[in-house]
Amino acid sequence: MDWGAVVAGLLTLAIYSFLYRDNPVYKFAESLLIGLSIGYALVTFWQTAVLDKLLHPLFHQGQLLLVVPLILGLLMFSRFSRRLSWLSRIPLALMIGAGAGAAIPAMLYERTLRQVSNSIQPLVTSDSQFNFSGLVVLAGLLSTLAYFYFSREHKGFLGGVAKVGTYFMMVFFGATFGYTVMSRMSTLIGRIDFLLTDFLHYLQ
Amino acid sequence: MTSRIPLVVCLAAGLIMFLQYFSAHPVARGMFNQVNDWWQIIFAFTLFVGVAAFINNSLKAILRGKERLFKTVSLLGLIGMPFLAITGGTKIGSPFLWAFDNLQAPMQATVFSLLAFFVASASFRGFRARNLQATILLAAALIVLLGRMPITTYLSDALPELTYWVQDYPSMAARRAILIGIGLGSMTTALRVILGLERTYLRWQ
Amino acid sequence: MNSQRTRWAIFASLFALMVISYTITLKWKIPTSPYIQKSYEFINSLPPSSVVIVSFDHEASSLPEIQPISQIILRHLFSRNQRIIGMSLFAEGTAIGYQTLNKLANEYGKKYGEDYVFLGFKPQHIAAILGMGESIKQVFPQDYLGNYSTEIPIMQGVENYQQIAAVISLADGDRTVQWIEYTGKKHGLKILGGFTAAMITTYDPYLSSGQLYSAIGGIVGAAEYEGILGLPGKGNRALLSQTAAHLFIVLLVIVGNIAYFRKRRGEK
Repeated sequence: MDWGAVVAGLLTLAIYSFLYRDNPVYKFAESLLIGLSIGYALVTFWQTAVLDKLLHPLFHQGQLLLVVPLILGLLMFSRFSRRLSWLSRIPLALMIGAGAGAAIPAMLYERTLRQVSNSIQPLVTSDSQFNFSGLVVLAGLLSTLAYFYFSREHKGFLGGVAKVGTYFMMVFFGATFGYTVMSRMSTLIGRIDFLLTDFLHYLQ
Repeated sequence: MTSRIPLVVCLAAGLIMFLQYFSAHPVARGMFNQVNDWWQIIFAFTLFVGVAAFINNSLKAILRGKERLFKTVSLLGLIGMPFLAITGGTKIGSPFLWAFDNLQAPMQATVFSLLAFFVASASFRGFRARNLQATILLAAALIVLLGRMPITTYLSDALPELTYWVQDYPSMAARRAILIGIGLGSMTTALRVILGLERTYLRWQ
Repeated sequence: MNSQRTRWAIFASLFALMVISYTITLKWKIPTSPYIQKSYEFINSLPPSSVVIVSFDHEASSLPEIQPISQIILRHLFSRNQRIIGMSLFAEGTAIGYQTLNKLANEYGKKYGEDYVFLGFKPQHIAAILGMGESIKQVFPQDYLGNYSTEIPIMQGVENYQQIAAVISLADGDRTVQWIEYTGKKHGLKILGGFTAAMITTYDPYLSSGQLYSAIGGIVGAAEYEGILGLPGKGNRALLSQTAAHLFIVLLVIVGNIAYFRKRRGEK
């Protein structure tokens, strides 16, 4: 008997009991999940960051400069002291500064320039065909960007263009909703597969 | 001093990470690699701080007698995983991976699958064609749902083609505009953070 | 019917419909969408023994949807004798990726360290992605099992992205976006995606611009890929239930709106 599948099946049903109403069985499973998730992350982070990248190189390979991130990391715990909590800003500032610095070229080129350049397509092709889809992309892009331009009131021409932008956004939200439904149903199918095959052994 | 030191650190780290795009000099590469490694190590410590805060709050709740059983279960789960990893390792067949495969992963997937039911309920009770915008949203959703059904491809090519067109053109255009907006906003915010004009992170205590 | 009972009726109907439709076995042959075909042709075009990074950038919550995709991609790569460097930018993806990679490698008789390796997880994904552009061994000095990267046969000659044929990011969120944004221009890395259906509209702009080379989206995408390879699996098995679910939702939307408009007309 696969006890793992039995336990997993019972916990699955415990979670599904929430569909009837919130109850202690569901709360127990939820609490267990929270604890296990945090414990798992603790093990993984310790193994991959602290052991691999800090303690082993520092104490076995003599990379003494790693004392700096060790101290900075320990400074994060100063937030538990009212008097010394300002010290935790230092490692935080390093992380935020590093993230910001790395983000600027990435956002500029990959997220902005590449996207804008790809939107500029010829509206009439070389064989004199009208590129309707290209026009739709350009119109959608400009009108949606107009919607997010809040420096002027959305009145008159700008208001009209912004309204068209909302329609394009509704198409996006609708398509996203459709795909989200698809995705959630797939997850449910996966659980049903587990219950019918591994838990109940009803299917092969 | 309590603000000045962090601002200087932020500026230094930001400049090193920004300039690494523009220099292949060994000194620049070396500094970049150091900041990169330190970034990862410090990031791990933020998780440890979170764990400490969670343990602190859970113990306080247990001592106060509030949801004692459930907080205890959470703490046991939290302690249990490192205990299993230390005693049995983390390789194939270890108790640690058994706990992940048979306790954590199934529960996590099940919690996520609950959304399928709520989406179905919301589709019936909340999804109304109240105005033109809602109707467009509804129409786009129905086109995708019907067009991406496997059976539709057996009936006609028209609906799947329409689905791909909606996805690849009008929907993509709006998403692209949102991306560009986020990109521009992120860039300006990042620049403000590096230059010390944006200091909201310093107010975090 | 009060609203609580309506909810329960919807939940019960959905569950019953999915269970019944899942018990019916049908062999579907569905047409292949363009990006699935492109993914397949790309992997087929790789010279044998190319090194491909497969990054398990997802959580356990999306396992039912991502696992069919990851399994079919790994099967294709292993059957073409490509070398795989597995890794993860999500803590939970570590356990999932390690076990999935091992299981499928054993199916194809592949040897750990020579044909494939699992490097594990590194926190702060942006730092990891950027760092690998300089030196993969610096970011991962040891693999998941504790072996030094410098001593692993598959890692000999693999310094950074220059020696990598492609990165396949299996994501349930926007990790693939970070692969694109932090490697694209600088390293010219080919990036393929495998992600949940909910992320399809998120990645459309990147597919359109070519920043994301191709993608396999959702369980239907996995089923299409299984169809090309002739290896029906969980993706194919789920198609009837998926169809039933979509029809059920469409029916609920239509019935809900009919009821709404009738009520509105009655009030007028």
